[in-house]
Amino acid sequence: MSEKDTYKNRIELLQGTLDMLILQTLQWGPQHGYGIVQALRLRSGDVLQVETGSLYPALHRLERQGWVQSEWKQSESKQKARYYQITAKGKEQLASDLSRWERIVEAIGSVMHVSPEESAS
Amino acid sequence: MKWFLSFGLQRRKRELQEELDAHLQMAIADRVARGETAEAARQAAAREFGNILLVQDVTRDMWGQAWLEQLGRDVRYAIRQLRKSPAFTITATAMLTVAICANSTVFSWIDGTMLRPIPGARDTGDLVSLQRGERNFSPTPPFSYLDYRDLREQNHTFTGMLAYHNDWIALTGGAQPDRVYIANVSANFFDVLGIKPTLGRFFLPDEEARAVPNVVLGYSLWKTRYGKDPAIVGKSIEVARHPLTVIGVAPEGFVGAAPGLRDDLWVTLDPLGTDVWRMTHRDSDWLIVIGRLRHGVSRGTAAQDLDTLMHRNVAAYPDQHLGDNRITLDPMWRSPFGANGYMAATLPILLAFAAVVLLLTSANVATLTLVRFVSRRRELAIRQSLGANRMQLVRQMMLEGAICSIVAGVVALALTSWTSKTFAWFFPANSIPLALNGTMDHRVVIGIAVFSLLAGMLCGALPAWRSSHAPAMEVLKAESASISGGSRNRKLLSGLVVAQIALTLPLLLCSGLFLRTLRNLAAANPGFEQDHVLTASVGLNIAGYSNDEAKLMRRKILDRVSALPGVEVASLTDWIPMTLIQKRDDAYPEGYVPHPHESLLVQNAEVGPRYFESLHIPILEGREFTTNDDEKVPSVIIVDQTAARRFWPGQDPLGKRLRVWGSLFTVVGVVRNSTHTFVNESPEPMVYLSYLQHPGYETMVQVKTRGNPVDLAPAVESAIHGIDSRLPVFDVRSMRESTQMASTFAVIESTLAGMFALIGLVLAITGIYGVVAYRTQLRTHEIGIRMALGASRVDVLRLVLSQGLWLTGIGLALGLASALGLTRIIVRLLYGIGANDPVTVVSVVTLLGAMSLAACYLPAHRAMRRNPVTAIREL
Repeated sequence: MSEKDTYKNRIELLQGTLDMLILQTLQWGPQHGYGIVQALRLRSGDVLQVETGSLYPALHRLERQGWVQSEWKQSESKQKARYYQITAKGKEQLASDLSRWERIVEAIGSVMHVSPEESAS
Repeated sequence: MKWFLSFGLQRRKRELQEELDAHLQMAIADRVARGETAEAARQAAAREFGNILLVQDVTRDMWGQAWLEQLGRDVRYAIRQLRKSPAFTITATAMLTVAICANSTVFSWIDGTMLRPIPGARDTGDLVSLQRGERNFSPTPPFSYLDYRDLREQNHTFTGMLAYHNDWIALTGGAQPDRVYIANVSANFFDVLGIKPTLGRFFLPDEEARAVPNVVLGYSLWKTRYGKDPAIVGKSIEVARHPLTVIGVAPEGFVGAAPGLRDDLWVTLDPLGTDVWRMTHRDSDWLIVIGRLRHGVSRGTAAQDLDTLMHRNVAAYPDQHLGDNRITLDPMWRSPFGANGYMAATLPILLAFAAVVLLLTSANVATLTLVRFVSRRRELAIRQSLGANRMQLVRQMMLEGAICSIVAGVVALALTSWTSKTFAWFFPANSIPLALNGTMDHRVVIGIAVFSLLAGMLCGALPAWRSSHAPAMEVLKAESASISGGSRNRKLLSGLVVAQIALTLPLLLCSGLFLRTLRNLAAANPGFEQDHVLTASVGLNIAGYSNDEAKLMRRKILDRVSALPGVEVASLTDWIPMTLIQKRDDAYPEGYVPHPHESLLVQNAEVGPRYFESLHIPILEGREFTTNDDEKVPSVIIVDQTAARRFWPGQDPLGKRLRVWGSLFTVVGVVRNSTHTFVNESPEPMVYLSYLQHPGYETMVQVKTRGNPVDLAPAVESAIHGIDSRLPVFDVRSMRESTQMASTFAVIESTLAGMFALIGLVLAITGIYGVVAYRTQLRTHEIGIRMALGASRVDVLRLVLSQGLWLTGIGLALGLASALGLTRIIVRLLYGIGANDPVTVVSVVTLLGAMSLAACYLPAHRAMRRNPVTAIREL
């Protein structure tokens, strides 16, 4: 399997979750790609390391779907960068992603936390 | 391909690069800020970032335009590959061009005739042709004016119904009379067809049945005879010595409502008030009727509606509706009136043949492609191991096939614009105003696109998929040690060769049957003399003579022509056999009461004294017409054998009486059957009336000559002009030439089938030669070893030959099985030969088998003559 295919598979695995994470990050304000990576790493306590090969395809796809829009701006450090901003449609998507995520977590949780007596009855 | 990619895409690519660059710069800046050295920071950031080109690539995939860029790359690569092997490219493209052109040519003929039955008319799919009574080829006009009007006004299923009657007439007033084709039409004629005038107006409803001498000119007549005079409307022109007022000009391209026939001008049903009889009698059937169906009404419903109306009329006027009165409706593409009845019987079969040729060609090109791909498998394996997936390889290889077929399609398009016009060549000189030819319109262009797409897919996909299956590593390792290119490819190649032979055999068989049919038709005895007979048509009925004057003129013409040196016998007739023209009427023996709807149609002709003598038709009983059989004596009739058997089986017909057109005729003679329209027709009863008693509408002089009839043509013409120089004389030609019309369709069928079969034969032979030669070449090494170990040359010959013969044998067996089933389709078109005629079958199989054997022998012979030592060395 080529390197390109490896990337593709990872994107597929993560797609739903990564989209949600990006959209959530953009809830706090417009951000460029590097900023999103940093924000996710910081907030997850260095657990979530998003690779560029997953991030940029995701960003460009989100833009094509109309969930984010982008513009070129100067960063604080005078670096010209492309800033992404969440759209109204993106916010709706985020809400539905979040509720689905919560249902899954709850479902998985209830499976994982079943006590032996309960499963015996 | 570059120009395909928008400027925007280039900009987006640049932006993406900047975006990723900015990411990297920010990462480096952060690390430097945390105290790393510039060099270490750059290295760490780059490592963290990953492969920047790959990131760009996967991101671009999200844009949804990547396929376009890739297609451009693939096309460029495919063209480069094709240019590397010009022999393959040119051969494949040329073969595909021929096959596509064969299809598009036949399709353009179908398009120009059956699919455009009435050029210029609106929505011809809604139009139906009405037929009353028995169905046959070129029936006579089926409706009287009053019945037509009842149907038009009382039906519930049509939005409009038009009627017309074609004829020919002379435009007088000029130096020489010009023959033109005219149609009497109902007032709504143009309206129902949806035709708008170029100049002036068309007919008004209240002009339909009145004597209003108005005329509408056809566009080409207006152009050629009147120089596109913009002020023609309101002017008077002379038609058959009567002044008519031009009220309008029809648009360019519109030539009338009879498919394949041309009208030059149109008048109302009785413009001069001279045809009152046929306007007021229900037993005068002279109109052809076309209706436009109401939206959503089926032909079956409409036919029922009209049947109900017709039954009402039959019940009200039984004496005027003898015979079969059932109404049938046909879509215009197979309307029995005009030329489409004949077209529908011939052209679809030819298109099917052409489709087989296309299939065959695709199989052939697939063979070539496969051979080429097998020798390219190293390249494919390298590309696969470099990361190309199978889909990409298949796409790549299909593109090569597609490019060949697209080029072939473009060339075929150019060729078809010429070949579509060759259809008219098939028709010999005749008196019918045929307007038949192929057209090149959007449908043909779409057709060509579909044919080439089909061909491209057929010849590209199969080998491409097959070759891409080769496991890359094995191919790279085993490359030339593989003896015959893998067993799977060998099977596919064999399959393709078998398919080609199996497809060629039915083509050859059909063309053989058609050719023998043509020979049988030419050799058949039509029952009358064709070789020393000349006919000429005289425009007596349009020259403005009174009936008595015309009678005198006819006698004079007969006397003058008879007296010419070289003339044996001269006679008169209103009909020439085997010219696709026929007249039919109901006839009943005296005392016979027909059942309702019983049809006793007979063909009829008015012929003069010594007619049968001039055509060498033997009189079996009684006598032939004489100059005494004129209007002063009771009406007499001569019948042929079929009519005699039909009306008076087992009795002597002489002296019996037959009712035709409501009057009684006494039989004075019985003649032998002769051909009326087609050599292969089933005999229809025929009766002959005396021309001098009942002058025919047409006046044709028929001359039996001593020498070549054509040599006498000028003398006959000047003899007629000697009586009245204004008398128009047309269609002076030999009987042999006139009757060629009857075999036109057999000629078309055998010419095209022969051409297609020849193409098929060449393809199949080159196909089997190519495969056997290729496989023999791959086995050179093996053959060398066999010979070194003591195999004789004959053994080698047998080895190679047996391979080819197996394929041929299987192909012939499959082809024979399908051919014997398929010939049943053409059985109606054959004459004097069975669909499974053993002689034709055996000779065709022998021909194909022998040619295949020869094709296999060449490579076998070459292998046999090889020096085993050099053969072993060669890998």
